[in-house]
Amino acid sequence: MEKIIIVVAVLPLFSALLIQIFAGRIGRGIAQLSVAITTLSFLLAVLLLSLSLAGQDPLAITLGNSTAVMLFDPLSTLLATIILGISLIVHLYSVRYMAEEDGYGQFFVLLDLMTAALLFMVIAGDLVTLVIAWYLVGILLYFLLGHDTRSQTAYRFAFWTLITYRIGDIPLILAAALLYNAYDTWSLTTIFTEIMANPNAHQVLGMPLTEVVAALIGLAAFARSAQFLLHTWLPYTMDGPTPVSALMHAGIVNAGGFLINRFAPVFIHSGDVLNWIFIVGLITAVFGSLLMLTQNDIKKALGYSTMGQMGFMIMECGIGAFSLAIYHMFAHGVFKGTMFLSAGGVIHDARNDDGIPKDELYTFAVEKQPNKASQPWILMAAITLAVPLVILILAHLLIAGDYFQKQGAVVLLFFGWVTGAQLIFATYRMRSQNVWRLVGLSVLSLVVVVLGYVFISHAFDLFLYPDPAFRSQLYTAASIDLLRFDVLVVMITLVIVSGWVVTYYAEQSGYRRRQQTKHLWLNFYALISREFYISDIYTRLARTILAASNRLNVWLRWL
Amino acid sequence: MTESIVILLAGIFLPLFPLSMVFNAVIENIKHAWLRAVLFVVWPLCGLFIVLYSKVDIPDWVLPLALTTSALYALRMLSLREVNQWNGFLATSLWSLVWLAVMQDTSAVLLYSYALSMSAPLVLLVLLSAGLEQRFGAAYTELYGGLARTIPRYTGVLVTVVIAAIATPLFPTFFIMLDMVVEAISATPFAAMALLLIWLLWSWAGARLIQGLIVGRASDIEMVDMNVTTISLFSLVLMALIVAGLYLSGVIL
Repeated sequence: MEKIIIVVAVLPLFSALLIQIFAGRIGRGIAQLSVAITTLSFLLAVLLLSLSLAGQDPLAITLGNSTAVMLFDPLSTLLATIILGISLIVHLYSVRYMAEEDGYGQFFVLLDLMTAALLFMVIAGDLVTLVIAWYLVGILLYFLLGHDTRSQTAYRFAFWTLITYRIGDIPLILAAALLYNAYDTWSLTTIFTEIMANPNAHQVLGMPLTEVVAALIGLAAFARSAQFLLHTWLPYTMDGPTPVSALMHAGIVNAGGFLINRFAPVFIHSGDVLNWIFIVGLITAVFGSLLMLTQNDIKKALGYSTMGQMGFMIMECGIGAFSLAIYHMFAHGVFKGTMFLSAGGVIHDARNDDGIPKDELYTFAVEKQPNKASQPWILMAAITLAVPLVILILAHLLIAGDYFQKQGAVVLLFFGWVTGAQLIFATYRMRSQNVWRLVGLSVLSLVVVVLGYVFISHAFDLFLYPDPAFRSQLYTAASIDLLRFDVLVVMITLVIVSGWVVTYYAEQSGYRRRQQTKHLWLNFYALISREFYISDIYTRLARTILAASNRLNVWLRWL
Repeated sequence: MTESIVILLAGIFLPLFPLSMVFNAVIENIKHAWLRAVLFVVWPLCGLFIVLYSKVDIPDWVLPLALTTSALYALRMLSLREVNQWNGFLATSLWSLVWLAVMQDTSAVLLYSYALSMSAPLVLLVLLSAGLEQRFGAAYTELYGGLARTIPRYTGVLVTVVIAAIATPLFPTFFIMLDMVVEAISATPFAAMALLLIWLLWSWAGARLIQGLIVGRASDIEMVDMNVTTISLFSLVLMALIVAGLYLSGVIL
């Protein structure tokens, strides 16, 4: 088994090498070669995952006398399988999609190298391999996004990605250096064992080492997973080939969630950092969703949608639901990958028929013509608030009785409740012959989604973190003072319910606004349509640095 | 007094600003590529020889000055368009960091291997730049562009050499930088931060150089691409650098 895990990671490298050597001789056959090797690697990863599911103990495999260590554990086997699964689909899609493009062989070389880098990243059992793989992912993505070397735009935004990723490398390298200095080893297993035994053994600048390292790891994850202020690259990198967009949105951008999970033993001793991670994730989720809703460019809307989802994923880590973040990563990856890969087909079909049924949903959501005949509001409000809550509570009680003693679980429940209530709330105003049928269908779909989500996420929890004490420690670390927590929940509930009330009255009055509020709304819309001027500020900053560089060169006579 | 003279002399070869301008002036005036390549190898070795042979105690002020020199040249690289000049500035930025390694009590053998490993990709870039001058009359970014379409094999090698020069894994300079950060972080955390920022500037400058050269439509004038033998030679050297990097990682990390 030790050999299998190394072979899984090395096979894509081998494929890249073969393509590079034989590209001239076998022509377009290189794609089949790449697909065949990726398939083999995927099958071996599935074998490893099944061994892990069967209860095989985790292993740390040292490569010869080097510092390089490969990990065989639930996290690495699960993610290796997901990466190879997505990579295989992207490979298959690219065989025909990229056939007319120049640099066909080079594309598959880069794709294989990217797959290898991602695999080494998830199976890395030492800090050096992790840093190398983490760094190389950014470099390879730059060249994949800039595959069309004629496009200045593609390279401009590929550069945004590269520089954000490089900024994110800095805290990871700092964290690695601090850990090495403290524990005199690069091995993650050894470092984590020592941290678990004595978490407060080391200090950095008067602060506990675990807190500093956790904060640095969090920053590295933010850059990789497009968190607020480090997100501008994501919505703009749409000029790269579609398979690369799929790979990026389905896999690469999720790396932040992986990194936080890998360093879980550090985070259980860094509760404050987890709270900050939650806040950053929350801000990202809100801004990402807000910007997604206001885009008139479908590709940018998809980019911001990913940003919002990454915010949710990081937020889940912030409340201690680490395994849920991995499940989110997987589910979002499959969903977003499908969207990107099917985009071409949808556009093609839409040229013949826009495919939009002029039904109840269309008149409600697009034409903004809500149903005038209203139902008794008290009854509707009661259903809106109570039904999702009952479904969520029952589903969670089914899997774990003590679930509600964890603050993180309550937060998740809260978001689930808001989403469910929002869904039911939207249905009342739709023009429908039978509102009750619509509500019934909404509730049914909610039940299916909630049950599926609860059971699968619970299975992920048991698989990734089999030790109940460790799981409990994660939630405990993320907890805050109970009074503060309750006040926060009440406040957020009030904000959301107020939002519903405002929406309700806006609909009732036919969206008529007073002159003053109209100006306010327009200014707000202008702010959002310029994406809060964040990318403009960065562009201005970059230009200032370049101008300073030029001025220095003139002063110093280019010597 | 002697100590100061030695430091000043060494500061020309292991560049310390403003003495660093000497190397760039020399490079500017040497037109022959092979001579330039030799200079890129010999220059830092001379500096190291002076420092190690004289066994001089390095004063504390050298550390901030070395970091400032490196950062200054890394920043100035951002607005350069001439490949040779860019290469000279990168060399200055890289070699000034050797002072850190000297101050971290690194062994002499390792110091020489650091200097050679840093110079190797720069030498390759000198040769590639000469190839561009031969083909286009000048090695300027954004002057002709579209090299990836015009001479794809040449571009492939050029891009790999640039990423090797800017301390990308798995090339030796990456491991040298990592080692310096690890060594610096406990005693002088500000130096570790400065090193990482300089590293970031190299990436930025490298990306600008690559984009300025390779992106764009193919040239109308037909150019001779790199032949298979030359590609093999360059590939061999780059592979040797990767092997050296991996070996170095075992030695220093």
